[in-house]
Amino acid sequence: MNNRNEEVLQVKGLSKSFLFEDQKIDVLHDIELSILEGMSLSIRGDSGCGKTTLLNLVARLEIGDCGEIYWGQHKMNARASCNSKEATLRSTFLGVVYQSYYLIPELDVLENVLIAGKLSGSYGPGVRDRARSLLSKMGVGNKEKQIPTKLSGGERQRVAIARALINQPKLILADEPTGNLDERTGGEVMDLLLMSCEEENAALILVTHNPSFARATNESIFLKKGKLATE
Amino acid sequence: MKLPWPLYLAWKQLFPSQKKVSFFSLLAVVGVALGVNVMIVVIAFMQGFQDKFRNDIINAQGHGRVVPLQSSFDWREMHRKIEDYSFIDEAMPYLQGQILLQKGNYHSIPFAMGIEPTAENPVFDIDSFLEGGVIRMNSHDAEDITPVPTIDSLEDEVVFISTQVANRLGVRPATAIRFYDSNQSNQSIASQVTISRLDPFVESGEWEVLFTSDQNFIIKELANGVEYNATLANGSIDRGFGIPVFKPLINSEPFKEGDLFKFHVFKASIIEVYSPSMIEKAKADEMVPPREVRVGGIFEVPWQGFHTEALISTMRLMQDLRVEEDRVDGFYIKAIDSVAKRENRLGESCSELQKSLGEGWRVIPWFVENAWFFDLLKFEEYLMTLIMVPIGLVAAFAIAIALMTSVLRKTREIGLLVAMGGSRISVGTVFCLQGFIIGLLGAVLGCGFALLFMYFRDELMTFIVHHIAGEEGQAGVSQFYDFYSLQIYYPWESTESLNTFLTFAFFAILISTFAGLLPAWRATRLNPADALRSE
Repeated sequence: MNNRNEEVLQVKGLSKSFLFEDQKIDVLHDIELSILEGMSLSIRGDSGCGKTTLLNLVARLEIGDCGEIYWGQHKMNARASCNSKEATLRSTFLGVVYQSYYLIPELDVLENVLIAGKLSGSYGPGVRDRARSLLSKMGVGNKEKQIPTKLSGGERQRVAIARALINQPKLILADEPTGNLDERTGGEVMDLLLMSCEEENAALILVTHNPSFARATNESIFLKKGKLATE
Repeated sequence: MKLPWPLYLAWKQLFPSQKKVSFFSLLAVVGVALGVNVMIVVIAFMQGFQDKFRNDIINAQGHGRVVPLQSSFDWREMHRKIEDYSFIDEAMPYLQGQILLQKGNYHSIPFAMGIEPTAENPVFDIDSFLEGGVIRMNSHDAEDITPVPTIDSLEDEVVFISTQVANRLGVRPATAIRFYDSNQSNQSIASQVTISRLDPFVESGEWEVLFTSDQNFIIKELANGVEYNATLANGSIDRGFGIPVFKPLINSEPFKEGDLFKFHVFKASIIEVYSPSMIEKAKADEMVPPREVRVGGIFEVPWQGFHTEALISTMRLMQDLRVEEDRVDGFYIKAIDSVAKRENRLGESCSELQKSLGEGWRVIPWFVENAWFFDLLKFEEYLMTLIMVPIGLVAAFAIAIALMTSVLRKTREIGLLVAMGGSRISVGTVFCLQGFIIGLLGAVLGCGFALLFMYFRDELMTFIVHHIAGEEGQAGVSQFYDFYSLQIYYPWESTESLNTFLTFAFFAILISTFAGLLPAWRATRLNPADALRSE
């Protein structure tokens, strides 16, 4: 672990279970996790083991059974739903990248990046310039007026990464960002993601099945039977 | 522009980048616009009808009536007294009743009203009623040039009758025709001789006007050999009642020697009048000859509530027929413009007048006398609104369904917006705002459509009626609905019209926004994690 930097995320004693046909299924049990500024961490595990659930809990999109989550210095109760103050903090603290991109089809490429800025209350030419610069860095600077449906999968994911970075978040949560891409494109996108996080000094939690992508991160852990274990 | 993101996103979802307008948005906005347009136009027409009826009633009945509750009073003194009031412009005494008319084997029992004929500032616009009742004779070789009768020709032995009475009895006023062009000249530029007055006392006969030079002419009555000379410098040639007044009209082709104009004059029909007192006498075997009167003119009162079979005579004739000398039934009043324009002021003024006239008098303003009719019209207006509001609600349901579908389609986007930091309420607001934007644009467009419809109403009505009912239907629509002469006010011309526009625009915005509430609520209830997982 890199001790130079501050802790961006701390998860303490986080558990999550689901009820399925009156039966309680423990998905995550007493998770302890910490990540420092600028650090990257990959989480691997079998399908359905709870990786996405862990990311959703970290992002406060889901309520846990118990535990505490710290976004920087902000302590949050994992058992309570996200309040409006936390929602506002989330827009600047977190960036999210998903396997299915989730670009808004009515907006063009530039607007898709800017909407994340607008959600955090950032308007004006400064944000627009930053969005353009991020798109150029992602190699889609010449497509800013295109609508998402006209882009390839790799291009869409690049736009999604630019959108995640627009508010200079402290933490990027990437849930299988290359899952829908071929190996070569996936490799290019992953390189861009890691490079950008490093440049922006953003911590990265990457959920992936790909061992080579996992190896590219500073730390790699496994999620198995609801517990985290180092590789 | 620094738009709040829910508004920005709502706008973009309705009007996406790279596309001018989405199909859904177009349908929704046009749907609301058509609803607003229909509601405004129907109510504007209803208000136009009310306005038309109001004017028709005032033209036919004046602004009110002063009615005595006692039978004996000095009507001349009372007339002066009423006219002395500051808000009274004119007061007209009247007598009314029912009489029996006979012409040959045909009978009619019209409502009869005796008035004091006055050409200056009359309470009733009888001249315009007479103009409306003109029926021209058709001929292949002659032209009906009968001048429109005026109130001036109302004498004690002359009556004006309504079109229905004239048709029932088969009578008409004095009529003159001019035979076509015995001079073989170009009609459009040729100078002509016409008749400017044809009183009810002219006899039937043939007349000729022969030019002996370009300035002088002779007027001849052929049957009796009456003949007199005239010159163009004299203008109209008035030889008194009983003789048509000929009037030369000089056009670009001047008169020349030998020009001959031929006329045929038909005398006014004479009808026999029986009053109730005459009938009473006849029942007592007393020989009472009927009163003979001439038809001075046929009138048409635009107010449908006015008696269809009606007769207007002088007050003296009515007094004679009722055998009630020097008596009137009341006074019709005309108020000065500043009072007449506002119903509440007219009502107050009438109450004040009634108070000052004392216990034995009632002063009834026109809108009280015809309250039943306006209540009916108002009821119709409310009924129309009641019928049309569901139209708006149907549009709202359509919008709600479309937005709900949009929420279902955008479930994962909703999850993403929450994941990016949007609060659930803000995400819900996006859908509510979409309803608001559709309502707002629909209302603005609907008001625009309504203005266009109102401006081109004659053309549109002609087109619609022509294609539905053909030429005959068009005549029917003109006769019964009178769309073509209907005065419709634009919002900048009348407060009532402005209120109609604003009310329906506001209604459209409100129901569209409400239509967005249900999908918005659905969006706020979505669990973001579930939304992101949804397929």
